[in-house]
Amino acid sequence: MGVGVLSLSQQTRARKSVGPRWRFLAYLAPASVFYIIFLLVPYGLILEMSFFSYSSTKLYLPGFTLQNYVDVLTDTFYVALIARSIGLGILVTAVCIVLGFPLALKIARSGPTMKSALIAVTLSPLLINLVVRSYAWIVLLGDTGVVNNWLKAIGLIDAPLPLSGNTFSVVVGLVHISLPLMTLSLIGVLERIDKSLVDAAESLGASRARVLWKVILPLTVPGIAAGSLLVFSLVVSAFVTPVLLGGSRVSTISTVIYEKFTSSVNWPVGATLVMVLLVINFAVMAIHARVFKDQ
Amino acid sequence: MDKTLDLIAWLVIIFLIGPLVVIIGGSFTETPYVAFPPTGFTLDWYYQLAHRIDFLHSFVLSLALAVSCSLVAMLIGVSAALGLHRYALKGSSLYKTFLMSPLVLPTVVTGVALLQFYYLIRLDTSLLGLLAAHVLITVPYVLRTVGAGLVGLDPAIEEAAASLGSGELRTLLRVTLPAIAPSIMAAVIFVFITSFDQTTVSIFLADVDLKPLPVLIFNYIDLAVDPMIAAVSTLLIIFAFGIIALLQRLLGLDKAMGVG
Repeated sequence: MGVGVLSLSQQTRARKSVGPRWRFLAYLAPASVFYIIFLLVPYGLILEMSFFSYSSTKLYLPGFTLQNYVDVLTDTFYVALIARSIGLGILVTAVCIVLGFPLALKIARSGPTMKSALIAVTLSPLLINLVVRSYAWIVLLGDTGVVNNWLKAIGLIDAPLPLSGNTFSVVVGLVHISLPLMTLSLIGVLERIDKSLVDAAESLGASRARVLWKVILPLTVPGIAAGSLLVFSLVVSAFVTPVLLGGSRVSTISTVIYEKFTSSVNWPVGATLVMVLLVINFAVMAIHARVFKDQ
Repeated sequence: MDKTLDLIAWLVIIFLIGPLVVIIGGSFTETPYVAFPPTGFTLDWYYQLAHRIDFLHSFVLSLALAVSCSLVAMLIGVSAALGLHRYALKGSSLYKTFLMSPLVLPTVVTGVALLQFYYLIRLDTSLLGLLAAHVLITVPYVLRTVGAGLVGLDPAIEEAAASLGSGELRTLLRVTLPAIAPSIMAAVIFVFITSFDQTTVSIFLADVDLKPLPVLIFNYIDLAVDPMIAAVSTLLIIFAFGIIALLQRLLGLDKAMGVG
């Protein structure tokens, strides 16, 4: 590691310090040692585990086999599982765009006081623990939950609607978690839109709807893209919400990983699913890096 | 058109905060299940909660974890932030990406990787294991917040101290750290909240005797969803808003959350 090309200001600042490189290493030593032990080694061991084979008596048999990858990528159960998790990510992202856009538009158009209040309201769910938020949805959507009781009380239904323990409740819970992040991302771009573009389109006779569709929406695309990538990567590896709101009926890559390492012990296959999840996440990051190369 | 959008926006706002309102209201219900609007008014569920020694234990454990996690993460993180800021060597930015990675790696993967790692090295105390996991996940917040504080620091004040004969350690302790105190304060609060709130990784690493509060609630919900959980949730909501109010008072919310 040599001294890189520094800007002038950095050079003057670093002039005194660049000399003894051991000082640089001393500052970074605690973090480096800690990260090697608790990040690199555990992740390396998981990668290694994915090449071991399953053993019913000894947890795993060391060795090198690609059989787990062949199994996971060809077995219809795992293929369907991976497809379902990705589909869930896409669905939740789409719902977040549809719901987040009107909210972000309202916030961006509000006056300063209203804006702060609405941003605080939008962000407030982020402060609440994941388990608590899932619990809230269990209470609302359960067979004897608040929503079903309301509907029964006003006589709309006789039997409870199946709102919980299925994909619907998982989607609702995941949207609730992701929506603040999507909205934040959209507010960012909406606020940067040049007001004169909107004025120009309106003075040329475009209706409000047309301005929204042809001027504002296209300019929001970077925000939609950034928000979508963030939401998708969160949802595809979400764990707590699918477990609590999906019951035993909804499984995702994350919940099956948990099972493979706890109840139905099969560490090699669990480790292989971990690698699949990591690949999906790295793919999202690569797309992000490519799309936002200039920023 | 505008009216429709406005209506949708209000419905979305109700969707976002409705569940929290239902939980808080439902914690006072006299019914054995969470009803909203609550039927009658009682503090029974809070009394019940107060007698649950397991919830108290878990709360204390979560607090202890969050406090010790803040200490360790600050030591590691501030030191690394200073190193990265002062010595712009080749590879620094790559190294920074590496240090930030726990933020983007799925927490479920970090949890399972540590679970397997602890098993393989036969780590017996899950307290230490939990602490290390929480530190790993929170160091990036320190790097980001303190790093931003260092960027805003005028190098002239450090140079002035040095030219007046102050040694490196003395400059660090008497000039640099006090100058970035607001960032350090913000980082401590972020780390504390993140650790206290951490659920996924803790689920993998907790054991029967050591369950942080979110894990205890997670396990409890599997068995019953009575209003006592609404009561503990309400207390957690108040706790969270209390910390945010503190953050707001100390720093201003917009600055602390990076929006506005």
